[in-house]
Amino acid sequence: MAALPSLPAELASADVAAGVVTLTVRDDVYPLDAVFAAAFTFIKDCWVVVDRGDASHWAIALTPKTAGASAAELEAWVGGFANELLACAYRQRLAKDNRATVEAVTNAALAGALGPPTLDELEDFDFSNEAFEDPLGIAQSWEDKYGKKAKAADPAPADATDDDGGAP
Amino acid sequence: MKALIKVGYGCNDHCTFCHTLDVRHIDAPADEIDRKIDRARALGHTMVVLSGGEPTIRPELMRWAQRVASAGLDFGLVTNGRLLSYPAVVDELCRYRLRYVYLSLHGGTRTIHNRLVRADAFAESYGALANLTGRGLDLKVNCVVTLQNVDHLRGVVDAVLPYPDATLKFSMVEPKGGGAALYGALSPRVGDAAARVVEAIEYGLTRTDGRGPHFAHGGFPLCLMPGHEHRFADLKSDRFATMIEVGEPDYFPVDDDNKLQPDDACAGCALRGPCPGLYRGYHAAFGAGELAPRRSGLRANSYDYTFEAAVRPSVDATCPVLRIGVTPWDRGRHLFVANGSRIARFRADSRDFSDGEIAAIKHDHGQLYLDVADKDAPDDFARDLVKLERSPRCAPCPERPRCTGLYQLAGTEVFARDDAMVAAWIGALTGDVLDVGCGASDRYDAVLGPRVAAGVVRYHGLEPDPVRAAAARLARSWATIDAVALEDFATAARFDHVLALRSWNHFADGDTALTQLLALARPGATVTIVDNVAFGLARTPRQTARARASAAGFEHHRNDDSQVVVARAAARGLIVLDHHPIGPMTSNQWAVRLRAP
Repeated sequence: MAALPSLPAELASADVAAGVVTLTVRDDVYPLDAVFAAAFTFIKDCWVVVDRGDASHWAIALTPKTAGASAAELEAWVGGFANELLACAYRQRLAKDNRATVEAVTNAALAGALGPPTLDELEDFDFSNEAFEDPLGIAQSWEDKYGKKAKAADPAPADATDDDGGAP
Repeated sequence: MKALIKVGYGCNDHCTFCHTLDVRHIDAPADEIDRKIDRARALGHTMVVLSGGEPTIRPELMRWAQRVASAGLDFGLVTNGRLLSYPAVVDELCRYRLRYVYLSLHGGTRTIHNRLVRADAFAESYGALANLTGRGLDLKVNCVVTLQNVDHLRGVVDAVLPYPDATLKFSMVEPKGGGAALYGALSPRVGDAAARVVEAIEYGLTRTDGRGPHFAHGGFPLCLMPGHEHRFADLKSDRFATMIEVGEPDYFPVDDDNKLQPDDACAGCALRGPCPGLYRGYHAAFGAGELAPRRSGLRANSYDYTFEAAVRPSVDATCPVLRIGVTPWDRGRHLFVANGSRIARFRADSRDFSDGEIAAIKHDHGQLYLDVADKDAPDDFARDLVKLERSPRCAPCPERPRCTGLYQLAGTEVFARDDAMVAAWIGALTGDVLDVGCGASDRYDAVLGPRVAAGVVRYHGLEPDPVRAAAARLARSWATIDAVALEDFATAARFDHVLALRSWNHFADGDTALTQLLALARPGATVTIVDNVAFGLARTPRQTARARASAAGFEHHRNDDSQVVVARAAARGLIVLDHHPIGPMTSNQWAVRLRAP
């Protein structure tokens, strides 16, 4: 294996005789999904092998399907792959960051497009109060739990003030 | 925007300061909450938050969450969190779009927390945090500060430190319900409590590595939170628009009516806009002696109403606001604007002004404008802004006093009209003219320049900003301009006319400035003071975002109106030659001409 002139030896090396060039990248920078996505764009022109380089690196071996690639051509292949890998990792990060927004917008759009539920749809709704498993009996009012009597009916508070400074 | 629904007042805790102590036996019927969820959607809310009492002890909890999600809304809870100690419950709620949790934790240890909630609840409430963290929730942890835990706030910080996605908020105990009955035994002095909260927050900040958790406070006057004013949080900052109690027929906007900013302490405070003030009950019990109002500092002079939604017009003559319902809309912070058959709803989220100030700007001063410019900030009001006026349809309406109102575009170009009057005054000046704060605008150059050239006027300008002063010198070859502030202008000269055109509110102290202006005037000279009051701008979200991202800073120390100047003049026995106040039919520019003694 020989180093390539414009790429650090620890990142890329080539075996010109075998027509293979290997790129080694950190797995905390490039998620495996991004590696797969980048590899997928090269499978028409190269044989692509993705493997573990070591405990913290991916090793991607590219063998151009057209035999007899020169060192410069192998370098171009691996450089192109590195750029594609960066793009895939960035796209994946954007998709992850925007996922909640996309879901919220999609849900809002679908809900808005559907309009209010029809009477027929309401029939299919589960209106039962089948709540939740409560083996510890948490969902029990303090008065019930400690046997205190409720007061006589009082009017509900009618104000609507911002009341952070108290119990929920 | 969020809607807060009180589902009932029953609770599995029994906090010493419980707001709903006297009504804990009342729970809303399930179908009442169903209707309120549907109403929240109809009002255009994007999230329904259930509160109580304790909403999680209601057996309908999951069904309500499902109903909210089915309506296309996000779901939230104000809760003591005990039920959320079940991971399966949290999993299920997250499937129903749980996005917001406001969880009570009043102590960092079992002993403190349980003592305040009077139940063996700590393990469950604190355990809920571990279930809720890491799920992308807006996760708030609220600690009510009382005499019983004020010495243990660091413990709460320590307890929350493992959860970087949480925001720990310290809230001053409110004199309401149980809190009112035992207020003397529960409430620390606000000055002491604020100091302890600041100490706890600063302790926490040294341990977060910048990642979180974040810290907030509520119910404390901002003058008592030096360096942490921006951490103030309340329902509005959490984007709650409305709330509804058990039995109420419709939503009401969240408000600050339970707090006040006492004029004797807070008048002139630079923090008055965003400050929550004191709880009224606290003020009644302990007074305002602990407040430390900030007498210096700059304030905004405008705020944004950002477009929220288009409103379907009525098919008949019914008022569209009455059709939707009057009570859910904040009188000051919501704005309905009709333009032909189209109606748009805007909302002001600004914390630069208090609710009372915003309501006064809208309803008393009538200073609302539609921003029609493509700029960070309007700099040519006559071109950039279109005045909004109350629709004549509102005049006979019996709901007018409590309704947010319907507005429309005014036909009058108020800025050009009102400024023409000032230009006419300036065009009639003769002799020695001193223009204080002359660098901000060149709008009267066309009037003054020829008069100086004709030898009728000798013009001397003062501009404290050296860059503006240099620019003004370049633009006004006919003028003498000193780069100096009014208070630093040392001269034996006296002038026939002293002008302060849109510089009054830039003076740090109005009374001192008036003394200095008068000292530069010859006996019998005129002193002309013109300035603007604060105003609201109806904007698109893009315009609002652009304005907020701009580098433009605040320049006003106050937003005085002409009445302030007239009152100061009256106190000195000065003659008021002209007085043009602002009002719903004018621009936001006022003008006063005084006769120097």
